[in-house]
Amino acid sequence: MMEENDNIGTPQEPPKKHNKFVQYFINLGARIKGWFVDKYTAVKDFFCGLFHKKTEEEKALEYSGPQLSRGEKFRRGLKSQSGWLFVAPALVLMAVFTFYPIIAAFVNSFKQSYSGMTGKFNGWGIDNFVRVLKGDTGTGGADFVQCLVNTLILTFISVPLSTLLALLISVALNSIKRVQKAYQTILFLPYLTNALAMGAVFATFFKIIGTQNNTETVGLVNIVLGWFGVDPIDWVGLRSPHWQIGSLSIPWAKYVVTIIYEVWSGLPFKILILFSAMQSINKQYYDAAKVDGASRWTVLWHITAPMIMPQISYLLVTGIMGGMKQYSAIVGLFGVTMGQDYDMGTMVGYLYNYIELGQTGYAFAGSLILFVIIMIITYFNNKITKKRTTYR
Amino acid sequence: MRISIQHLTKVFPSRTKGGKAVHAVEDMNIEIPSGQLVGLLGPSGCGKSTTLFMLSGLETATSGKILFDDQDVTTLAAEKRGVGLVFQNYALYPHMTVQQNIRFPLDNMRINREEGNARALDAARLVQIEDLMARKPHELSGGQQQRVAIARALVKMPNVLLLDEPLSNLDARLRLQTREEIKRIQRTTGITTVFVTHDQEEAMSICDIMVVMKLGVVQQIGAPQHIYDDPNNLFVANFLGTPPINIFKGKIQGGKAYIGEEAVGDAPYGDREVYVGIRPEGFIYNPQGALTLNVDHIEVMGRDKSVVSTHESSTKPTVRSIIDSDVALPEGAEQLKFDIKPYKLFLFDAETEERLR
Ligand SMILES: Nc1ncnc2c1ncn2[C@@H]1O[C@H](COP(=O)(O)OP(=O)(O)O)[C@@H](O)[C@H]1O
Ligand SMILES: [Mg+2]
Repeated sequence: MMEENDNIGTPQEPPKKHNKFVQYFINLGARIKGWFVDKYTAVKDFFCGLFHKKTEEEKALEYSGPQLSRGEKFRRGLKSQSGWLFVAPALVLMAVFTFYPIIAAFVNSFKQSYSGMTGKFNGWGIDNFVRVLKGDTGTGGADFVQCLVNTLILTFISVPLSTLLALLISVALNSIKRVQKAYQTILFLPYLTNALAMGAVFATFFKIIGTQNNTETVGLVNIVLGWFGVDPIDWVGLRSPHWQIGSLSIPWAKYVVTIIYEVWSGLPFKILILFSAMQSINKQYYDAAKVDGASRWTVLWHITAPMIMPQISYLLVTGIMGGMKQYSAIVGLFGVTMGQDYDMGTMVGYLYNYIELGQTGYAFAGSLILFVIIMIITYFNNKITKKRTTYR
Repeated sequence: MRISIQHLTKVFPSRTKGGKAVHAVEDMNIEIPSGQLVGLLGPSGCGKSTTLFMLSGLETATSGKILFDDQDVTTLAAEKRGVGLVFQNYALYPHMTVQQNIRFPLDNMRINREEGNARALDAARLVQIEDLMARKPHELSGGQQQRVAIARALVKMPNVLLLDEPLSNLDARLRLQTREEIKRIQRTTGITTVFVTHDQEEAMSICDIMVVMKLGVVQQIGAPQHIYDDPNNLFVANFLGTPPINIFKGKIQGGKAYIGEEAVGDAPYGDREVYVGIRPEGFIYNPQGALTLNVDHIEVMGRDKSVVSTHESSTKPTVRSIIDSDVALPEGAEQLKFDIKPYKLFLFDAETEERLR
């Protein structure tokens, strides 16, 4: 639509056809630009209007009431633009803590051998990106591809899983009549607990703690597994089982622990959202379904789930966003080394790791790549949820 | 399917501690012959929907019985009763197309897709929405949504069709049209139908049998015209008819019914205080008539004119009498006298409000 408008009055150039993906970012850019232009014009108008000496004609045109004093004019001007006063503090804070760092990260990621201490660097280039992607940082730090794979696998298993579980639990909760409130409270408790503390407790559940009288003392999980004749598995420790694909390690046992943890800690919020969404569904839909002989299963998948699809996709989107940024749970479970040789590293963990190592250039480059990946995921998120969220 | 309702009662326990339980339906007895269109009529909150939901199986009866033909269905689950139910606000699934909505009951019966689609189309044809099958409910007008809801209820060929205030969400014109439609559909399918409404005109115009309810208690059952002409009590007389019946405070003395000092008709009952009900069409203009009314104004509407007047014994602010428009009335008269048609005059005991007859 914008293109059509732009073409009016100018020599007709065939509008460029971009593929949808590119077009999405072009539109996004146009929207962002439009936003700034809008604000700029508004600010300009406000200040120009304040100091501009109007001609008699303009005055007559504009305001036919009694003459206004300069103070009154200022007050009116402020009033008409008072929205700005309210957002100003937030804008300032965002400029300092959001916009500036984004731009700085962008710029700095192209400085080669950048030193965060001295600010010195060795020319511009994409050296940081190449080294990050190749895993050739020469510092013994985390490996980017490993961190990326970990993050993606953990996110795309645990988020759908916990959303599905939350859905089922909410349905169950919704059909309970009596102690609903009590269950609700219990289910919500993990939400109020600190991730590091929970991670540490989880790790203890899964740990092999040590050897005593030639038998291993093991955590709760291994004790339970032992009842079924399963030998203790070192879920979180040094001997944790893993698969190796080239230089990539798939520490599946640690994945299991992390996913269980993520699912469990993600449940309360999701249940809260889905449960309250369910409560607002008109009871008549269920009555109608009952008369029409729908089974519980049909009711769940053909009525309840579609009706709360906006909430479900909200949870998936925010869950995936959160998953891409997971870090503290990993530290809680596996310590600051994020497993053995960073084999449980995540993307954010990668950034911290290189900041800590003083290699800020890699951290900047990594963060930029993370940014792009999140953009891509957001794009598909938007695509999919737009289709699914509204039943209209 | 014949429906027999026997001593049906529904008591809702009070919502607050120590509050009073709600007797939504009290000792209801109705026999509905097969293939009839029955209207449950009563003011809001009188237990019509509750009755309907007990018939459908969505509410359980506190006591009493419901028989479909000779089968006792009182405790039978809703999905096993074979009823089609149309909700007051239709309850169409917003995320499904019209076709999916209509087919939903069939899908639950595991009827294959082809037959399901064919039957859905048949049902859609019956209510004339076959062109809208691909739309979603929000893309339909109120009347169309209503038809989809009816089609969904009909598609499984129910034994009994239940409609809860099916017309109350439609505008006046559509309501008129749709009620004819419902009548037509009911005639075509021959399904025993129970229809809830608080609109007496609606009930009067399409029902075979009308059941008038008040506060959970059935007041009168019968053909609409019969109930109109022969109401059991003041409530029924008052509830039926547009414009509504005129009610006067009066008395019976020596076999005559009096309004004020004027005798308006014979009353072979003992002396007592009464309410005198006179249908608007029950007045005959006569300069020597029995009842004197103070004329407020006269409305002429085509075939007839409406004399709007006041009377000190009237329980309503105005008295409305409808007479033929050819009847010449004296210009600008402040008072007019009328005779009363005896069969349009009803007497109700002032205390019990029961009809004297
Ligand atoms: N689930 C319920 N719990 C308690 N009271 C109810 C319930 N449903 C209906 N009632 C009460 O029963 C009475 C009859 O309700 P209803 O059948 O819906 O009336 P109608 O359909 O005639 O307007 C009302 O007083 C209403 O408040
Ligand atoms: Mg109702």
